[in-house]
Amino acid sequence: MLTRRKILVFGSLMGLSSWLQAKSRASIDRKVNTKVKRTIAAVQEHLFPSNSKIPSAKMMHANTFLLETISHKSYDKDIRRFVLEGAKELEVREKGLFTTLSKEDKERALREYEETNYGSSWLSRIMTLTMEGIFSDPIYGSNKNEKGWQAIKSFGGQPRPNTRYLDV
Amino acid sequence: MYDVAVIGSGASGGAVAYTLCKAGYNVVMFEKGRLIGRDEFSKDELAYSRRDLITPNLFDEYHTIEEKIDGEWKATPTYESGWSFWNGSIVGGSSNLMSGMVHRLHPDDFRLKSKYGDIEGSNIVDWPIGYEDLEPYYDRVEELVGISGDHKDHPYEPWRSRVNFTQPATQENAVVKLFDKSCHALNIVPLVTPRAVLSKDKEDRKACYYSNFCGSYGCSSGAKGSSREALIKPALATGKLKLMTNTHVKSLKSNKEGKVTFARVVNTITGKEKEISATIFVVAAQAHESARLLLNSANKYYPNGLANSSGELGKNLLFSGGGSGQGELHKDSLKEIKFNELMTTGLFVNRSILDWYFIDHWWYGKFKGGSVEFMFEHQNIISRARKNGYSEGKLVWGEALGERIVKRFTEQKSIRFEIFNDWLPNDNCFVALDETHKDKYGMPVGKLRLEGHPQDVKVGKYIAKKCEKLLEEMGAKNIYSSISSSAAQNLVAGGCRFGNDPKTSVLNKYCQAHDVENLYVADASFMPTGGSVAYTWTIYANAFRVADHIVKVLDKG
Repeated sequence: MLTRRKILVFGSLMGLSSWLQAKSRASIDRKVNTKVKRTIAAVQEHLFPSNSKIPSAKMMHANTFLLETISHKSYDKDIRRFVLEGAKELEVREKGLFTTLSKEDKERALREYEETNYGSSWLSRIMTLTMEGIFSDPIYGSNKNEKGWQAIKSFGGQPRPNTRYLDV
Repeated sequence: MYDVAVIGSGASGGAVAYTLCKAGYNVVMFEKGRLIGRDEFSKDELAYSRRDLITPNLFDEYHTIEEKIDGEWKATPTYESGWSFWNGSIVGGSSNLMSGMVHRLHPDDFRLKSKYGDIEGSNIVDWPIGYEDLEPYYDRVEELVGISGDHKDHPYEPWRSRVNFTQPATQENAVVKLFDKSCHALNIVPLVTPRAVLSKDKEDRKACYYSNFCGSYGCSSGAKGSSREALIKPALATGKLKLMTNTHVKSLKSNKEGKVTFARVVNTITGKEKEISATIFVVAAQAHESARLLLNSANKYYPNGLANSSGELGKNLLFSGGGSGQGELHKDSLKEIKFNELMTTGLFVNRSILDWYFIDHWWYGKFKGGSVEFMFEHQNIISRARKNGYSEGKLVWGEALGERIVKRFTEQKSIRFEIFNDWLPNDNCFVALDETHKDKYGMPVGKLRLEGHPQDVKVGKYIAKKCEKLLEEMGAKNIYSSISSSAAQNLVAGGCRFGNDPKTSVLNKYCQAHDVENLYVADASFMPTGGSVAYTWTIYANAFRVADHIVKVLDKG
C-alpha cells in the first residue's frame, strides 16, 4: 500500500530542493507563491490543451479550481503540500524554466519527470485535480457553463448542489 | 431516564427506535454525525464521493489495519493509507448511501455447518435461529422500509409469506432484453433484483425519480429505504424519540449488579461530555464499531470488555467474499437493442443471478456459492473520466486523453457484476483495541485484522468465470474481473456472534448480551456466518425481531 507518508518520504529521499526544506513549515502553508501557481498552471495546460475534444484547463479556470480545492479544509493537508512541493521539484529539475519551455520541451520534461515514482504520482495528482474541476458541478468554479459535461454528453444528477462542500 | 438508549441511527438503530416508539416507550438515539434532510441532499460528486464530508476526518478518528508483511502482522493507521472504514456518519448512517440491492438469506445460510460441514481454518457454526424465525421480519421490512421487486420461484429463492412485493420493480433499462436473452442462451435464470427503493409513492415518500446517481448519494425524493426516511422520521412523529445528533458514545458504564447504568457521550462540536441513563441499552454502531465500544467499556467488573466473558467479543468479523467485474457494450457491436436505449440514463439493470448460490459440480464438488448483482458501472463522472488516464502503465494526456474520454462516454457503456459469497469466519479476521492509537476523544481506536479464507477466493473465481461468459454472450468487450480476499469496508458484520452457549458466543438468540441483562447489540454484529447476499435486508429484519423482544421485556416490567 503506497501511503501518503511514503509519497512524501520518496520526495525527501530524492533530495527535494534544499531551499524548500530550509523554509519553515509556516511559510509553506496557506499562501501559494506565484511561481508555483504558474508552474502548476503550465502543467495543467499541457495535460489539458486547447485543441482537445474536452475543454482546456485554461478555459475551465482549472488552476484557480486546483488552488482553491487544495486549500479547502476538506482536502488532505499532506497531499496539499505534495502538490506544491512537486511543482517546485519540477522547476528544480528544469532549472526554474519550465513555464518558458516550448511545447515539445515541456513534453520531454514531464515524460522524464514521470519516470520517477515521485513525478509520476505528482502528475497523476495534477491530472485528478484538473479533472475534478472540469467534470464537477459548475458551482466549484470550473466546468464553465457545463462545457466539460457537454463534451462527454454526461451531466451531473438532480438536484445539483447549491453550495460548495455541503457548506461545512 | 429513558426506557431505551440506542447507539447509532443506521438500519438497525432505526428499526429498534421505530418499534419501541410505536409501542409507546421513550427512546433516546445517539448519532455521531449530523442530520442531512431529504431537501439538503444533492448529487455533488466532489462533496459526497471524493471527500470525507459525511464521515470523520481520518486524522481525528481512524482505524488501524493489520496486514501480514514478511510473516508478521503490521498495523497501518487509515490516515496513512486513506482506506476509510467509516460508512456514513449522518442520521440514517450508511443506509442513506446504499444502492439498495437486497436479498433475503436462504434457509441453509442459517445452518451452514450442518449442511456443508466444517471447512478447515474457518469457524463456521449454525445460527441459534432459523429462516422461519426471521421470515415475518423480512416481510415487515418489505412493507415498512419499502422493497420493490417481482418475485419468481427459483430453487435458491427462499420461501415467502407474501405472494409478491407490494411495490412493483423499479423501471429497467432496455439492456435487460439483451441480458435476459443472453442468460436464456446459457441456461441461466435471470431474476429481478429486489431493491430498497420505492417505485410508487408511499405516504410522504415519493417514488424513485431515476436520478442516475443512487448509490453513494442521499435520496432527494425519499424513495430509498434509508433508516432516516423509513423509520426515524415516523419514530420522531410519535413524540417518543429524542434524537441526539453530533453525539458520540465513548463508553458504557456498568455496575456490579451486571447492568449498564449510563452511556458516556460527547458532543462532537463542543466537546462537552454527559452521562445519559436508560433502562435498556441497544448498540447499533456498525459491527466493527459496536465491538470497539464494548471493548472500550471494560471496567473492574468486566476487565476484558463489556459482555466478553466468552472472549469472543470482536472475533469472527465478517465482510463479503467475491469481487466484481465488468465489460463494455460498444455502439458499433451492440446487439438486440438500440444504442440510444442503452444510453438512457437513470433506469436500473435490476438483475441478479442466484443459480450459483449452492454448487454441486461433477468435478469441483458440492460447496456453498453466492449471488450476483448486475448493474451499470457507477455513473460518477469524475471517477469514470479518471479511468482513462493510463495506457500501458504510462499516463495519457493532451489530445489523446480528450479523445479517450469522449469515446468512453459517448460510444460505450459498461455493465458490471458484483459477486457476494460467504466471507468465512476465521481466526485472523477480528477487531481489537489498538494498544497505542487513540481517537480525538481519547479512546483507543479499533484495530482490524482482515484476513480472508482461501475458500472465499476460490468460490468468487468460480462464479466470476460464469459471469464473464455471460458478458461475452451479451457481446461485451474488454471483459475483466477482480476477485480477491480484500475486505469491503461497507459490508461488515460479525464480531458479537449470537448463540445458545455463553462460553462460545457474546449474544443470546435475541441479541441480548449473555453477561449483561440490559444490553443488546442490534446491528450485523450478531451474525456468526454472513450468507451470500448483501447484509442490509437481514440487518433490518433482525433488528425488528430484536426490538419486538425488547418490547416484550419492557411490557413485562
